Amino acid sequence: MDFQPTLPIPISFISGRYLLFSIDAVTYLRREHNTCGVLIGTLPQIPQQNVFLGLPLELMPEEARLLVDKGVACIVDEAKAQKDGMQSLLEEDRRQYLRELESQGLQAARIVAGRKEQQKEDYFKKSLEKKGKKKPNVQSKETSNGDPTASPTGPSTANDEPASLGDFFAGDSSSSRGTSNSTPNPQHTYGVTPTTSYPPLPHPSASSDAILSRPDVPLSYPLFAHMHTRGYFLSPGLRFGCQYVAYPGDPLRFHSHFLVVSAEWDQDINLMDIIIGGRLGTGVKKGFLLGGPQKEKPEDGSEIERTESVRTFSIEWAGM
Amino acid sequence: MADADEDVINTSSAGAAQMDTDLSDETQDFRLLSHLNFLNDSTSSSLPKRGEKDFEPNPTEFQADVLSASRQAMHNALAHPRIHNPKTWVIGFYAPDGPMPPPDHVDTAKTAGKGMGVSQDSCVYIPNAKGSTFQSIGQADRWNRLWLLPEEAIYMLERGNLDIRWPSASTAPAEDEEDDISIPMSLQAAYSCFMGHAGLTLERYSVYAALRRLGYTVLRAPAWDDSAKPYNTKTEMDIDAYTQPTHRGPGLGGILACISNWMSDPFSTASPAAGPLVGCGIHRSHNDVYRKMALIPWYDPALAPQKDPLDTTAPFRVVLHVYKPGTVIKKSAIPPPDFRIAVLSTREQTTIPTLPELSALLQSTPLDPPRGEKMERMMYMRVRHGYRNVVLAVVDQGVTSFLRVGDAAFGKEKLFAAKYAPRGTKKSGYSKPKR
Repeated sequence: MDFQPTLPIPISFISGRYLLFSIDAVTYLRREHNTCGVLIGTLPQIPQQNVFLGLPLELMPEEARLLVDKGVACIVDEAKAQKDGMQSLLEEDRRQYLRELESQGLQAARIVAGRKEQQKEDYFKKSLEKKGKKKPNVQSKETSNGDPTASPTGPSTANDEPASLGDFFAGDSSSSRGTSNSTPNPQHTYGVTPTTSYPPLPHPSASSDAILSRPDVPLSYPLFAHMHTRGYFLSPGLRFGCQYVAYPGDPLRFHSHFLVVSAEWDQDINLMDIIIGGRLGTGVKKGFLLGGPQKEKPEDGSEIERTESVRTFSIEWAGM
Repeated sequence: MADADEDVINTSSAGAAQMDTDLSDETQDFRLLSHLNFLNDSTSSSLPKRGEKDFEPNPTEFQADVLSASRQAMHNALAHPRIHNPKTWVIGFYAPDGPMPPPDHVDTAKTAGKGMGVSQDSCVYIPNAKGSTFQSIGQADRWNRLWLLPEEAIYMLERGNLDIRWPSASTAPAEDEEDDISIPMSLQAAYSCFMGHAGLTLERYSVYAALRRLGYTVLRAPAWDDSAKPYNTKTEMDIDAYTQPTHRGPGLGGILACISNWMSDPFSTASPAAGPLVGCGIHRSHNDVYRKMALIPWYDPALAPQKDPLDTTAPFRVVLHVYKPGTVIKKSAIPPPDFRIAVLSTREQTTIPTLPELSALLQSTPLDPPRGEKMERMMYMRVRHGYRNVVLAVVDQGVTSFLRVGDAAFGKEKLFAAKYAPRGTKKSGYSKPKR
C-alpha cells in the first residue's frame, strides 16, 4: 500500500492525452498528491459494465502539468519509447522476461487450481451436510479423481489442500524443467498480459530523447493549481455543468463541495451565467465557485505569482 | 475493519431509492467491488450499491481507516492481472505495416494488403480465433486469419480475451528461433501502438469501449476517416440547405398569395390585407380560423435535403454505427444502424455546436420519421423523436456523456386538428373538435 515509486513517474503521452498505466503510480499520486484522474479502461474481472473502470488512468493536462512542475512526474512520448525500447532490447533480457512471465503464469495457474479445489470441497461439504445419503456418491467421485487423501466422512481442508497443491507444484516444476527455454507447457501455464511495459523496458531516464516538455494548459490553470494546493481534489466537471468538480478529500469517501468555473479578472461575465451556476450548484447542494488570477497576462508575473493572485468567490442561493 | 464494511452494506441496502440514481455518475467505492466474487461469475451478476460518503474530512482515525481500506480495495481491483486459461488462450500478432499475406504466401500475392478483403486500417491478426467474443468483430482474410482494427484489438486485450505479440521483426533484428521470443504486448504497449493509428483517438476509443462494455455492437461508419470526401460534390446547393432551411407556412409569400386571393375573390370570409387576420363573416369551423392565423413560418425537417455522410466536417460527422444488443450482424450484409454517433472532445471543441454545424450533421443522417401506433397516439413522443436524429458523445477528459439530438417538427403538429390532442387540466379554453 505504501509503495514508493521511483521519481519522476513517467506519464505516457499517447495521441495527445496523458495516461498512467502503473497501479503503484496511480495509488501513490492519489495518496500523496491529491491526483485522481479518470479511470477509462475495462476491468478484466467484470468487463460488461461501466460503473467500475480500470487502468489506464487519464490525467487532465492541468494535472500532468502540476505534477511535472512539482518534479514528481515527467512526460514520455510512449509510442516512440515503446518502439525504440523494443528494438534495442537484448535477447538476454527478452528471454529473462519471458521466463518471468512464465513463472507468473504458473503462479496464476496454481492459484486458480487451488481456488477450484477449494470450491469443489466447499461444494462437497455442503452436499454432505445436506444429505448424508449422498455419501457413497461423493466417495466414488473423489476416488475417481485420484485424490486418495480425501476421506468420505469429513474431507478436511487442512488435509486435502496441501496435498493436491503439492502435486500440482511437483508436476509443474518438473515439466518446466524438462522443457526449459522453450514454449511453456500449455497444460499448466496460464498466459499473462502485463499492464505496463516497464519491465522489460528500462525505466525512462530524464535524459532520454522520448521525454517531452511540460504540457500546455488552458487559461483556467491558475485556478486549478490554487485549489489543488489548498488540498482539494479536482476532476473534470462538464457533466455537472462546470469546469472542475472540487472535492474536499478523496472522492472515494467525500461528496464534492464546489462546482468550479474559471474566469479572467477583467472578463465580462453574463449575469445569467452566474444565476444559472448559482441555481445549479444550490440544486445539487454544492457551492458555485467562480475564480481566476488577478494578474491576467503572463507578462504580469510568473506563473507562481499568478497562481498566488487567484481569488475565488462562491455563490449560493440564500433564499429559504 | 470488517465492522465498517458491514455498516456500509447495511446502510446502503436500506436506501433503496439510491438505486434510481446513475451509479456511474460518481466515483465509486471500490470496497463494494471486493464483495463481488469474481470467480463465481454465475452467482454475482448484480452490481453493488453505492457506499456512504462523508461530508468533509475530519481528523478521526476511523475516517482515515475507512479511506485507506477504500484505497486498498481500489488498488487490489485495479491490480487484477489479465491471465489466459490455456483452453481459451487466443494469441494475436501485431502487424505494424497493415494487412499482409502470410510469409510463405508473399510470392503468390504480390499485392500486399490489397484485395485481401480486409480493412487497410487493421493492425492485428489472429491465426485461429475461437470463442463467441470474436464473432462480431474483425474481418477474415482468405487464409482464415481474423484481422482486427486497432480499437477492437485494444478492447479485446483490455478485457483479457486476447494476447497480442510483438512481431519478431521489431523486437529482434535477426533471430533463429522466432516463435520462442515473441514478447506479449502489455496494455501500455497496445495503447501506445494502436492509439492514433488510422484515425483512432482516445475519445473515439472511450466511446467505443463504453458501448461495447454495455453489450452494443459498434462498427466504424464511412465518415470515420476525417479526410474522406464524397465523390460527386454539389456544394452550392448544400450551403443553401442550412443557411436557408426549408420553410413551410405562409410566410411573406403566403401573405402576398392571400392578398392576391382576396383581389380575385373579395367576398371570401377573410380579408387579411385590409383588416384583421380573420375577417368578419360566418365561420363554421374552428380549424379554418386557426389555419388562417398560422402566419409564422416553420422548418420542416422532412423536406430538408439529404446530404452525403462524407460531406460533413469533423468533428461533426457520424463516426460510429451502433446496434442494439442481440442484433444479428452478418459481416457480409450489414444492416442500417440503430444509432449514429458523432464523437466530440471537450478540449478541442470548447463551445456549444452552432446551428449550421448541427444542421449539417443531422442532414447527413437518413430520414427517420416517428412511426408506429404509439407514436401516432402520443404527440410529445413524436416531437421528441424528431425526423432525423444523431447521438453526440461528448468526452470530457475521459468522462463521457451521450446526448441525443433530434430534428423536431413542431410545425407539423397541428394542435387544433390533432386527433389525439393533449388535454390540459383547464376546463375552459381549448376543446377537442367534435367529429
